[in-house]
Amino acid sequence: MSKKVCGYLCKGCGIGDALDLGGLKKAAGEQGVKEFKEHDVLCSPEGVAMIQADVDAGTNALLIAACSSRAKTDEFSFGNQVLVERVSLREQVVWCSADAADDDRQMLGEDYMRMGGVKLTKSELPTPFQLEGEVAKAVLVVGGGISGLNAAIAAAEAGNQVYLVEKEPELGGFLRTINKLGPQTAPYRELEDNPLPGLLEKVSGNPNIKAFTGATVDKTEGAPGNFTVSLSNGESLRAGAIIQATGWVPYDPEKLADELAYGSSPNIVTNVQFEQKAKEGGLGGINSIAFIQCAGSRDANHLPYCSAFCCLVSCKQAMYVKQANPEASVYVIYKDLRTPSQSEEVYREAQRQGVIFIRRDETYPTITGSDKLSLETMDVLLNEKVSLEELDMVVLATGMKPNNPKVVEPPLVAFGEDQDAAKKLVEEAKAQTEDWSVLNLQYRQGPNLPTLKYAMPDSHFICFPYETRRTGIYTAGTVRRPMRLTQAQDDGVGAAMKAIQAIRAAEAGCAVHPRSGDESFPEFAMQRCTQCKRCTEECPFGAINEDEKANPLPNPTRCRRCGVCMGACPERIISFKNYSVDIVGSQIKAIEVPEEDEEKPRVVVLACENDALPAIDMAARLGKSWSAFVRFIPVRCLGSVNLVWIADALSSGIDGLILMGCRRGDDYQCHFIKGSELANVRMSKISETLQRLVLEADRIKVAEVGITDHDKVAGIINEFMEVIDSVGPNPYKGF
Amino acid sequence: MDYNQTFANEVYEKVDSGAEIKVCMQCGVCGATCPLRGEMKYGPRQIWSLIRAGRRDEVLNNPDIMLCTSCYTCKVRCPRGVPIMEVMHGLAHYALAQGIVPRAETAKFGKAFWEGIYDTGRVDEAVVPIKYCLQDGLVAGLKKSLGMMDIGLALMKAKRMKPKMFIPPNIFIPGVHKIKGVKQLQRMLDKAAAIDAAKEA
Repeated sequence: MSKKVCGYLCKGCGIGDALDLGGLKKAAGEQGVKEFKEHDVLCSPEGVAMIQADVDAGTNALLIAACSSRAKTDEFSFGNQVLVERVSLREQVVWCSADAADDDRQMLGEDYMRMGGVKLTKSELPTPFQLEGEVAKAVLVVGGGISGLNAAIAAAEAGNQVYLVEKEPELGGFLRTINKLGPQTAPYRELEDNPLPGLLEKVSGNPNIKAFTGATVDKTEGAPGNFTVSLSNGESLRAGAIIQATGWVPYDPEKLADELAYGSSPNIVTNVQFEQKAKEGGLGGINSIAFIQCAGSRDANHLPYCSAFCCLVSCKQAMYVKQANPEASVYVIYKDLRTPSQSEEVYREAQRQGVIFIRRDETYPTITGSDKLSLETMDVLLNEKVSLEELDMVVLATGMKPNNPKVVEPPLVAFGEDQDAAKKLVEEAKAQTEDWSVLNLQYRQGPNLPTLKYAMPDSHFICFPYETRRTGIYTAGTVRRPMRLTQAQDDGVGAAMKAIQAIRAAEAGCAVHPRSGDESFPEFAMQRCTQCKRCTEECPFGAINEDEKANPLPNPTRCRRCGVCMGACPERIISFKNYSVDIVGSQIKAIEVPEEDEEKPRVVVLACENDALPAIDMAARLGKSWSAFVRFIPVRCLGSVNLVWIADALSSGIDGLILMGCRRGDDYQCHFIKGSELANVRMSKISETLQRLVLEADRIKVAEVGITDHDKVAGIINEFMEVIDSVGPNPYKGF
Repeated sequence: MDYNQTFANEVYEKVDSGAEIKVCMQCGVCGATCPLRGEMKYGPRQIWSLIRAGRRDEVLNNPDIMLCTSCYTCKVRCPRGVPIMEVMHGLAHYALAQGIVPRAETAKFGKAFWEGIYDTGRVDEAVVPIKYCLQDGLVAGLKKSLGMMDIGLALMKAKRMKPKMFIPPNIFIPGVHKIKGVKQLQRMLDKAAAIDAAKEA
């Protein structure tokens, strides 16, 4: 690409008053941005028209020195054939430097112009990655229960070929065992019919859906847009995206033999067994019955979590009994009744029908007897022990476990530990990992979706609910998290939409999530690769396979463009067209470092674009100010920070570095799962290097800044400046 | 104590608005909001709970069900829309009909209040206390009214009760203080009582 570069300076929002524009232009000129235009309000229609006219005349690399790259994104985007680099003079210079001396502010602005200039000159326009051959547009749905059926129907109705794989001889999953549904529609008074027949009719009536029953997945190879899936029945299918809707398995009631006397009487049954009885019409003759909620749920010794469906199911099953015999005494013994949203109406209807709800404490009720049962429980509403006598049946409302193999990854601290200790951690993790598989992925990082501690596939279940850590493979329904039937139904549709999106993204050659639409992707300069395997091991998404000689085999359609591989690579052979070790390294080197005797230290903050940068912008917007000796460099993810940048910075006289990123650990907020954690581990290893250079470990800090932590930004920076003051200037200044 | 549904069903069927308490979710807003809660042993929420557990004696003998002053706050605030005040009165009424007197003084006052209305068609600040006090006989009644003198004086000071109200013939000559057509009113009240009695039987 031949670049025609032009810079644009905005004088609005106080920039023109606070800074000497001539100096700014001169600084950018040092880095190859020679031509400049100014405008009073660059984001106004006139300002944008001025830029657009240049673009139309052939300018294709723009340095826009105005506000943060997170502001005015619509105004300052000129299509994917134009490189745009934003310099945040407003948030990162003018608004945050109220207490700074004028010349310090001017130096700050000029440094950002140099950094923006060098980035623009070094960046290239990304060319979208294209898969060889035709992109597979079919969606493979694994699991034919409520979520799977709805996913299949939604994807098929949107025009995609759908392959539906079910391991049982018939479609339907748990729905096949269900007698009636609880009230689903206003006014929530009547039990409703099982929707399965209607769903099956839709599936069989849709020519886009091909169902394989009695089949499982033997092998899944490839990447989004190009999966090859072999089934146990010998079929081989090509799919663009996969939805795993393998549902749940009931918690094993045998484990409740001690606490709740399961197995001591045929009249102590689980909610699943009770549903079966109801379906078979075996509820006659019940005069008195008790349902025990949280039987093995929200219990550290069993399932520590809430299964979200048992309360509603018990309300429904209580209605079965009341319907068969309105005079029956029906008790529900609960810890907390959790019937959110409209299901509150179902709870109320059960009450209206005369079901008695008794709140218990953390201890389980004691159940005795065999034919007629007695039950003793603490009633916290009466604050005394109460008993229920002559019960015909006790139903244990047990919870759900995801039908998905548990995967335990060794903790990241294993890297660089002494080899024996690291091996032990890996062995421990392996021992806890279940050795069966649903999809049998032929991925370098193993055959299964990485999971969280309860074997639910790892994802941010609020922000990115269907995503797993394998791009193009989505989970839907109860395998993802416990949920009730209506939610599982909607979940199938949601996952189908994401699957279609993944296929479209593979076609377009861009990232699907979370950097939706990003056309850049990592390129590997293979001739310098040393087969160290760090990229293939550290990629949070298992995007990189390996050949038998341990060469990385990237799969760009699996890639989320976080740059964790780039941060990992000790040979620095991985780069994006517009984001590379060289580009950021050059930005750091473009910072002017004053002589030691000027007493103007320099600190670089490598800030995560997703969390830290918005927090910094917000802090500036709210009028917070901090030291004008600090320079921010946005990074795609802290995991993409290559250690050579730290070395570059320190050897060019920068006094300290802060890595600002999101929360790590079990409740991580990293868009790329492990980036923040990886950065932290890598930094913990860097202190040896610093010691070798006779530098203080205090010069590097990793700070957690969530997107809402704008109030912390100024404090973190100012505290760090004090530390830098106390350790003194970097002795490498001027070398 | 055993749970038993007999009493709950009795309340649902026979107590005025009794079935409405089925939907109570035991949040406790009623008790927390009740200005008389400090005087009560249980408060409405726990009374509903006792009903569900089948504690007939505890509920019907409990003075709480006669302490309600009809301020309506609980009813306004109940998230489940239970007409708590009506149920409290319903329970009190039901207890009396069963020959149980949960709180004697309230029962007497209620009787005086009701008789006053029945006789004259209106509430009279002089008639009610006189009827209330004299229920225990003349001597005890005088003693009681002396004990309540400070309240009486305060009422007089506020002109809620006037001395001339006590002067015959205001009270003792029938008809003077009555509304027009008190006989028709009485017929209506008799009829209502008959309907009620039929329901309770």
